[in-house]
Amino acid sequence: MSSARTSTNQGESGVAISVEGVTKTFDGGMVKALDNLSLAIDAGEYVSVTGPSGCGKSTLMHLLAGLDRADSGRLEVSGEDLMRMRDPNGFRRNRVGLVFQMHNLLPHLDAKSNVMVPMLGTQRSRRERSARADELLEQVGLAEFAHRRPPQMSGGERQRVAIARALANDPAVLFADEPTGSLDSRSVERVLELIEELRKQRPVTIVMVTHDKAVANTADRIIYMVDGRVVDQPVGL
Amino acid sequence: MSFGWLIWHNVWSKKVRSALTATAVAIGVMTVVVLGVVTDSLRTTAAGVLRVGAADFTVSQKGVNDILESALTEPLLDKVSHVEGVKSAIGVLLDTEKLDDAHPLVVEVGIKPEHLKPFGVQIADGRAFGATAENEVMVGIHLAQDLGLRAGDTVNVTGRKMTVVGVFNTGNTFGDSTIMFPLAPFQAYERQPGGLSLFFVKIDPGAKVAKVKTAVEDSSPLLVAISSLMEFGRADRSYQLITAADHAATVVAIAVGAIFVMNAMVLSLVERYREFGILRAIGWSRRRLIALVFGEAMIIAFVGAALGVGLGFVAIEVLQELPSLKGILKPTLESWVFGRALLTAVLVTALGALYPALRAAQLSPQEAMRRE
Repeated sequence: MSSARTSTNQGESGVAISVEGVTKTFDGGMVKALDNLSLAIDAGEYVSVTGPSGCGKSTLMHLLAGLDRADSGRLEVSGEDLMRMRDPNGFRRNRVGLVFQMHNLLPHLDAKSNVMVPMLGTQRSRRERSARADELLEQVGLAEFAHRRPPQMSGGERQRVAIARALANDPAVLFADEPTGSLDSRSVERVLELIEELRKQRPVTIVMVTHDKAVANTADRIIYMVDGRVVDQPVGL
Repeated sequence: MSFGWLIWHNVWSKKVRSALTATAVAIGVMTVVVLGVVTDSLRTTAAGVLRVGAADFTVSQKGVNDILESALTEPLLDKVSHVEGVKSAIGVLLDTEKLDDAHPLVVEVGIKPEHLKPFGVQIADGRAFGATAENEVMVGIHLAQDLGLRAGDTVNVTGRKMTVVGVFNTGNTFGDSTIMFPLAPFQAYERQPGGLSLFFVKIDPGAKVAKVKTAVEDSSPLLVAISSLMEFGRADRSYQLITAADHAATVVAIAVGAIFVMNAMVLSLVERYREFGILRAIGWSRRRLIALVFGEAMIIAFVGAALGVGLGFVAIEVLQELPSLKGILKPTLESWVFGRALLTAVLVTALGALYPALRAAQLSPQEAMRRE
């Protein structure tokens, strides 16, 4: 695995994510979640975002994933200006993949169907969707679980299905919000190995929000946050 | 997996919720179907008299509550007979009588024997009654079969023992369930000398029905001319009331059904907040989410429609056996019943699903996913 670092150097293949002076408040401005935050992440880079609870890391991820809008500043993800974005659904469907702490799979659908759900509404034919789901489940090591529903799987297996779902439409950026937060140590290890394997197989930028220092250290680079800002050194971890 | 499959799967995987919603739709459909069939049956029964008489149109007294209460006179018949375009006009006097529990509303027709043939009456058994025969009647073939009567038998009617001199056939169910009397004795019995109820008018070849009808109505302000069931309400207020009651009850049934469905779908929405949030988070558009909710609702609508029609048939069978409706309610199940059921189910479900679908589409993905 790559060792962690704290530099902000850009990779050779260009910038995947650019954030400049972004502010986000809640409760009519009473709570400032992000405070004039700036950062850049290179294409193909694996970055972890870490910091104490309430530091704004999940808010940052939601903004970058197009789930919410910033009050001010500039956000660009995979060439898309998120402040002027007209089709946030298309952006979330085609440009980014999302993995959540709670796997957030649909419990009444089997693993394969869960992986296929984001592909509904794309140009892929039914046969192509099926083949793509098989391929992804194979990649995450769950080919034999294709017809099991989430309640019939372990936490780690569910999270691997969630990763397969996030990759369904071949996103340029994969956002993971505490993906190992609800897993046992063996499952955490398996998910992290999977992320590493995926990076070898495809040129995907990975942004992972995590509390866990050991998990954060698996990234190429760690971004520390405190009180809605990026800081150079970890505080309160 | 396709979008259609997902819609079906969502309905199927939540069987209890889907079944309860379909039951709510079915109750609305059943109510509308039963009301429709019953009121249609009552309307058909009420207007059945128009179908007898082999006429181009029928003339009644204007503004009566029940066409059987229409009170016309022989001088008016004479006047109508002389209207331009009228070839012939036959006057009949009508009344109703309860023969027994199975025949609570038998229509009695007073008619001159010479008018029987032009009126479309064919003797199937026996002979026609005499013009002044006080104790002679003819019985329609359906009624005769029901009562087991043949020419030569006697029947208790108008409080007297009458001889059935003939059994007749008009080719019309309503007409073949009537009893016919010679006009003059019947007028005397009804204490309406010279009284008539309806005129059955035939027009000259080449004449226009609408034009002749207008001319007849213009000949006396007391008269209204009817040439179709659609126009029956012009003469019969009961018919208008039945129709109005049917429409009002249908609207109420649809509204109540929609509220039931909305209730079930709103509960289901709350239960599925997280699911909708996930779908929005992974890129589903609002339109696709609305299509999903509506698609599920439409499957439930079709199931509810089928169930409602089935329940409706059972309810109609039960109603027919009620003593107060026996012999009056003669429902016919026609294709419009199914169309009306489907339309009701779709309306009820669409109305009930509208708010939940829009609400689901407005959910913020983060807010929805935070809900358990």
